[in-house]
Order: sequence, then structure tokens, then C-alpha cells
Amino acid sequence: METHEASFRILRFNPEQNEKSNYQTFRVKIDNRMTVLDALENIKHEQDASLTFRRSCRSGICGSCAMRINGLAKLACKTRARTEAERHGEVLVEPMLNMAPVIRDLVVDMSEFWREISRGTPWLIFDEALKESLNENLVTNEQLTVPAKMADCIMCGCCFSDCVSRVFDKNFNGPASLAKINRFVTDPRDKEGANRIHGLVEIGLWSCTHCYFCWSQCPRDVRPVSAISDLRVLSFKSLDPSQGARHVNALTDSVKNSGMLNEATLYLRTMRLAAIKDIDLMLKMAVKGKAPSPLKRPIPQIEEVRTLFRLTKGAKEK
Amino acid sequence: MKYAYYPGCVAKSSAPELYDSTAQVASKLGIELEELVAASCCGTGALNEGDPFLNVLLNARTFAMAEDKGLDILTICSTCQGVFRQTKWLLDNDSALKTKTNEALDRIGMHYEGKLKIKHLLWALIEDYGLSKLQEQVVKPLKGLKIAPFYGCYILRPPESLQFESHEKPTSLEQLITVLGGEVVHYEGETKCCGFPILFVQRGTAFEMAATYINNAQNHNAYFMVTPCPLCHISLDTYQKKSAKHIDTDTNVPVMHLPQMVGLALGIPHEKLGFSKHMVSMVKVLRGL
Repeated sequence: METHEASFRILRFNPEQNEKSNYQTFRVKIDNRMTVLDALENIKHEQDASLTFRRSCRSGICGSCAMRINGLAKLACKTRARTEAERHGEVLVEPMLNMAPVIRDLVVDMSEFWREISRGTPWLIFDEALKESLNENLVTNEQLTVPAKMADCIMCGCCFSDCVSRVFDKNFNGPASLAKINRFVTDPRDKEGANRIHGLVEIGLWSCTHCYFCWSQCPRDVRPVSAISDLRVLSFKSLDPSQGARHVNALTDSVKNSGMLNEATLYLRTMRLAAIKDIDLMLKMAVKGKAPSPLKRPIPQIEEVRTLFRLTKGAKEK
Repeated sequence: MKYAYYPGCVAKSSAPELYDSTAQVASKLGIELEELVAASCCGTGALNEGDPFLNVLLNARTFAMAEDKGLDILTICSTCQGVFRQTKWLLDNDSALKTKTNEALDRIGMHYEGKLKIKHLLWALIEDYGLSKLQEQVVKPLKGLKIAPFYGCYILRPPESLQFESHEKPTSLEQLITVLGGEVVHYEGETKCCGFPILFVQRGTAFEMAATYINNAQNHNAYFMVTPCPLCHISLDTYQKKSAKHIDTDTNVPVMHLPQMVGLALGIPHEKLGFSKHMVSMVKVLRGL
């Protein structure tokens, strides 16, 4: 098989020898089939036995070999070395983000990730009453459509590593945790079920920005951001009074009234008194002729939009 | 080249310079834009969190309008682009949803077939107009200008519904900057989130995101940033001074809307491109041309 040499630039750190991490470059002969994990094994066996990384199943199931490859969190065993080398000119390998400290080389302390997973109580709180009434707690395929997808999560940490919100907001419990919670909210055997929704605002339900990194980097296609949206729908419907739900409500009303986003009312209804913080900005915008007007003329054919609202019963008024 | 034009709500509200500069560039390049004046808001990804099916219906209605004209949709907002492409992807891959949607649309005398394409201006310039043809139209190359592209999220992710370029190493803005004669500056944050979706909900976090990436661009000596999304523009330009203050720094990086940058290179007079409406002054950049 055709091979060619590729450059692997790896962020190394040994707390017993270095104060700071540093990059070390290795040259490895790769072929079309080799994964980044194969290349790391090759380096470890043939060039530097001290190179440290987690790995186990080599099949994308255990989630152990999550690391950043050319700036994005991936499983090394599912990532083709040649694709990376061709796309970026090298294979840059670094430990995951949002999980500190680095224990050694590519091995991070995942305690922070596990703590956030636990905050959401992502385990079945079994309804004892079911035990009395049924021999088996049967769940139909239809009932399990969403939970089954969420259950595909292997807790590798890729989504947590690349979550932009988590970098800046340590109260946000992150995409994996919320995806796991969604799996139980919709599980008919769970005693808490939709009641789980009420505590979610405090652990960051509305902190997700929809950056979609958790979707693009999930090796199991769990799409946590979709789970977060599902949870927000449930929260919104259960009269969540938070700023996040007010934002959705204001936007919905705005579209219903004029067909368009009314930036002024969306801002005021979401921010309420806190809007006073931006008075200076609003004045500057007004001077520049770009302050959004709260008065919006409805779009032509607005009745069609309102008909569609009626058909779906619209979003709940609060 | 003719499109069903969907400028989006922000270009017709707090970013009139985006609407105006697009009109100037389209006219200069001979791109015909037939505006979908009766189209509704795309939902910005937030309407979806109140009622997902309603969001699908409203966007399918917009698609049906464009299909009725036999035209593809052109957007100038990455968020509209992303929400539209996700809705279309859902409809085109779920026949039950498409049937249910068309049953509702039937009540207002409309039908979504699924034939249309949805393109951001950035993609249309590359795929339909052609960069070499665009290069021929450049009369004032952006020579010597270090330009920091800011893609943001919705024009790159999720890759399944967008399928234009690699979300891992996008090059579209780089290609455009290069043919316009500018020099691309790469920096940490060009594909990250500007923070706008949580600007009114988690203000401090949103400020930290925007300020960090603007600061990175400034540290790489960028003359200005350019974005295909007016919502990113709000975070990066309108709130720049506030976000910088939030992280105890000071940044002064002008931020251009995509068509403004194209318009400059095409020789469209500055005053027609709406630079005076920016919060971070463009004067230094314009003088340097």
C-alpha cells in the first residue's frame, strides 16, 4: 500500500520534568487506512515510549482516545491520519479543552466533565409504582425514539471539550449532560420525567449559543444541541419565567404580530429593567440612524402567517 | 443571475448598511434580486424552541414563495441561511414531515416541492458568479490590508445541512478576501461563536466570547474583521466597546459586512456602503486604501 511521511506535532507535558507544555514533532509513515491512533501507537512503539495517551477499544465505542486533532475534539481511532495531514499540512494533536489539569501529554483529568454529568442526575429514577402494576416495564419503540439516540452517548467528552459556552461560563453544565437529561425526561419509566425540567435553568439550559460544535464533533451523532433545543421547548411550555424563555416568547409574539423580528420589543421584553445598561448604546444607534423601531408594519399577507400560527396553536401566551 | 432575495429582519432594521451595500454590489455585478417582501422571519433558531413545527411551517412558506417564482433563495445573513438550510434538510429527509407541512401550507394555498436551493451571498459569489469573474471587476484592490475573516457558526455548522465547504477548515472567506486583493489574517476564534444568541440572556458570557476573538484579531494586526452575518456584526461591532470593557481590555477593530468589503474593492463610493453607521470607526481603514 502506498505510504507517505506525515508530520505529527504533539503537545507534550510531563509534570515531573516540565513546568510548561511544549510541542514535539514526529515524522510517521502513514498509509490510506491508518488512523491518528495508529500513528500515535507507532510513535510510542518506535520513537518515544514516554508518549502518553488513553486508548482502549480502537473501534469508536469506548470513547477513551478523545483528543484535539487539528483544533477539534475527535476520537483518534475514528480519525484518518491522511485526511488530517492533507487538509492541514500536518496532524496537530493536543489534549481536550475545558478539562484541566492535563495529567500528562494527551491525558486530561476528566473530573470536571464527570461532575457536570452528575449535576444533571442522568440516571433512571425508577417509579416504584410501576413495579407493582407490571411484571415487565415495557417501552415501545415509538416511545424510545428520542431516548435511544441520546443513549448512544459514550461520554468521550468531545462535545464538552469544544463547547464554546463552557469555556466562558463554568456554570453551564455542558452539552453531554443536557443530552443525557433529555434521554430521561422522555423516558416513560422515569419517575421524575418532565419534572426534571424545572431545575435545568439553574444549570445552564439557556447558556448554549447553538454554536453546533457539539453536533459536529460528536463521534456518535448524538447531536446534543438538538437535545438542548428539545429541553428548551419543554421548559418553555412549562411556563419557564427565565430570561431565555422570555426571549423565545418575545420573538414568537413579534413574528405573530408583524411577521418579522421586532428587535426593539425583543430586546426590551427579554432584558426588562436591565435594558437601562444600554441606553448610551441606543442613543448612539439612534444618532447613526440604525436604532430599531418598536413599531413594525406587518408584512404583506400577514394573515397567512397568522393562519399557520392558528394551525399549530402558536406558542403559549404567558 | 437572478434570485429570490431574503435580506432577513436585521438588515431591514438595525443593520441598514448591510441592506444598502448588498443592493449596491448586486447592481454593480448585474445580479438581479427579487425581494420576498411577504416572507416572514426565519425564526433565528429561537422560534424553534417555542414551537418547532411552527418554525418549519413559516420557513416552508418562504420556500414555497421562491419556488413559485422559479428562483433560488439568496440570503445575506448566516443565521437565516443556517436556519433555512436546517429546515430544508429536515423537510427533504422526512417525508412524513413534508406531507404534514404541505397539508398545512395547502390551507393558505401554497406548496413546498423541495426543488429550490438556498445560498448565502458568499456562496453565490463563489459558486454562481465565480471568483475569477469577480476578480476582473476589482478596481480598487484591498492591497496591504490585513483582513480577519469571522465565519461564526451558522454558515459552517451543522455540516449535514450546509454541505458547502469543510467546517473544519473553511476557505470561502479567505478565497474572497484574496481575489479582492486583501491579505488574510488567521487567528484563534474565526470559526467560533460571536455570542449573539445569548447576548440578551447571558450577557457577560456573550461579551467574553466576542471580546476574546476581537482581541485575538487585533493581536494579529488585523485592519478589520469581515463577517457574513449581521448578528455577528452586532456582537462584534455594536457591542465591541462594551465587551472589551467587560474583560478589561481595549479593542478598536472595525468590522465589515461581507458586501461592504466587496463593494470597496469594486470601487463603490464609501458613502453608499454605509460605513458611517458602524459603531467602531472605519475611517482609518478607508484612509489606508
